[in-house]
Amino acid sequence: MNRIVRAITQTRELFTVAFLIILFLGTGIVNPSFLAPDNILLCLNGSVIYILLAIGVSFVITTGDIDVSVGATLGLTAAVCATMIRDGSSLIMASITALTIGALIGLVNGLGVTKLRIPAIIMTLGVNGLVRGSIYVYTEGKWVENLPAVFKSYGQITLAGFVNLFLLITVLIVIGVYLYLNKGKKGKYFAAIGDNMGGATLIGIPVDKTRILAFVLCGVFAALAGIIFASKIGFVTPTAGNGYEMKAIAACVLGGVSLTGGVGSVIGAMFGAIIMSSISRILVFLQFSSNWDDTITGILLIIIVVADALIQKHFKEKARRERLAARDLKALRAFEEMGGDAE
Amino acid sequence: MNMIGNLNWKKIIFRWEMALIFILVMEIIIFGSINPRFLKLPVLLGSINDYISICIIALFGTIVMITGGIDISGGAIVGLTSMVLGLLWQDAGLNIWVAVILCLLTGVLCGALNGFLISYVGVQAMVVTLGGMFLYSGLAVVLSTLSVSSAYEGISGFPQAFIRIAGGKVFGFIPNPFIIFLILVVIAYVLLHKSRFGRYVFLVGVNPNAADFSGINHRFVSMFTYMLSGLSASVAGVVLTSYLGSCRADLGNELTMPIVTAVVLGGTAITGGRGSIIGTALAAIVIGLLRFGLQMSGVSTQYLDIPVGLLLIVAVAARGASLYMKRPSFAAKKQKAV
Repeated sequence: MNRIVRAITQTRELFTVAFLIILFLGTGIVNPSFLAPDNILLCLNGSVIYILLAIGVSFVITTGDIDVSVGATLGLTAAVCATMIRDGSSLIMASITALTIGALIGLVNGLGVTKLRIPAIIMTLGVNGLVRGSIYVYTEGKWVENLPAVFKSYGQITLAGFVNLFLLITVLIVIGVYLYLNKGKKGKYFAAIGDNMGGATLIGIPVDKTRILAFVLCGVFAALAGIIFASKIGFVTPTAGNGYEMKAIAACVLGGVSLTGGVGSVIGAMFGAIIMSSISRILVFLQFSSNWDDTITGILLIIIVVADALIQKHFKEKARRERLAARDLKALRAFEEMGGDAE
Repeated sequence: MNMIGNLNWKKIIFRWEMALIFILVMEIIIFGSINPRFLKLPVLLGSINDYISICIIALFGTIVMITGGIDISGGAIVGLTSMVLGLLWQDAGLNIWVAVILCLLTGVLCGALNGFLISYVGVQAMVVTLGGMFLYSGLAVVLSTLSVSSAYEGISGFPQAFIRIAGGKVFGFIPNPFIIFLILVVIAYVLLHKSRFGRYVFLVGVNPNAADFSGINHRFVSMFTYMLSGLSASVAGVVLTSYLGSCRADLGNELTMPIVTAVVLGGTAITGGRGSIIGTALAAIVIGLLRFGLQMSGVSTQYLDIPVGLLLIVAVAARGASLYMKRPSFAAKKQKAV
């Protein structure tokens, strides 16, 4: 039991998973129909967009930077993809265009941060404004509507009778990214840079390249989220994705990705995103008004990070005390030996 | 002797604030030539009503950023205090001035919660204020459903005395918000640049450990900056409610990014330890006038994010480059001194 508690408190992802399970079970006790498999699947399906955004942002946050332009990137790529498909392009062409735009936005962010040395939050804030404005220029302020039914139906495709296509893609991506970060040759670069940039430079990690790559990946994942957004919602407004950047960052934080960099995993970010997007559904099942959505999100976020900070503090203090005690013991032994010699 | 005089002169000319004043003058000239109505004093002064909340919150957001933190919950507190004000006045039936004071207290409380979690519990500032942003804007929405007025319409029909806070004019042509802004600039300037507290703020930003060792209660100093920031957000909420004549939960939703933009454009280092109130005040007006001028020149509001974003990136990149260029000369000077 003690070991389980320690594992949960020390591995931040397990902490998030435990929190998610408690949240779901708690809701299930009040309203058992919440735990029906169909409903849980709906919860997971609903979180696909947030999961993709959170994965992308977690790359950037792990390297110690931050990206607040993903909401606008999602909006622009969704608008471009939807417009192209409405005008008769194939899905593949539209997707490639959208992903390229996402990668380009990420590249601009990355170059600004690494080459021009603009702090990440400022660079991405500026790019956020640029991209958000471009959405209006591109769509002329109109909604992109009348998408072909085929495009909208991708969200309804299920495999083996219950696994949604988008959910399957997302889960495969999460697994792929996890393997890349943990087993891949260069996967550890991101965390190494976030943990200690000077050290990473000294041992020969291509710091600037990796940071740019993180921004590019973030843009690509935001674009992927944009394509799925267009297909799922079925129309794109010029304000699409407004405020999603903050929700993506919040999802990462919920999942234990530290904003100082170097700590966290995509698995954590995924579960954070699931918590994030399930809150409104949970509120409905608890017969709360959905007006409480943001309030509960804020409270959960604060509770989780405060609990995390206190737990970390406790363990740090404990480790320090153990270290001091060990040193005292060593000194005592040394003193006794010396005393023995003197006699 | 001559050289020192020379250096000081150079220092004044090449200060960041001078660059901002230059941008400001350019804006007035360019927009004035596009639309001469822009140059009329009442129009120019009256434009501050559009961005007064950004100006007010950015001033005290600067102090937060100098301690090395960041406060992105300001916009949410604007909406929350606006709702609190409306509810207390209409649904609780309090005197409007009592409601205003309670409203300001709410802002201080929100800031205190942020500050406590950041400096005493030790959570990162960005994370706490991100949570705070969700919490306060969410609470504002919840409060708006409690009111007897529908959430969409908002609460309106405030007494004339209250409307006059933002609607009134001094000497017949200076709008009250402009005076409020000037007073707050003076207060913030004295607090940051002329008081002992201000020195502590800079020291905490440069090196919190050093501040701690020199007997400064650095935790309280940094918590106090968040309380100031919350207070300023609630002042902005009151002024904005008075200006619009109605209170709404989503008043400050779009403010977060412009506030951070103003603070950073004003020359405050995001890592803390460097920054000035005058710079922020100028930057806030630069951004406000840019948006206002473009609107008057016939650019649709929806496109305004593009020039503001460009201005931010170009200005910060140029500033970074100029600071980078200065480094070798600094090293040379140091060598000479040795």
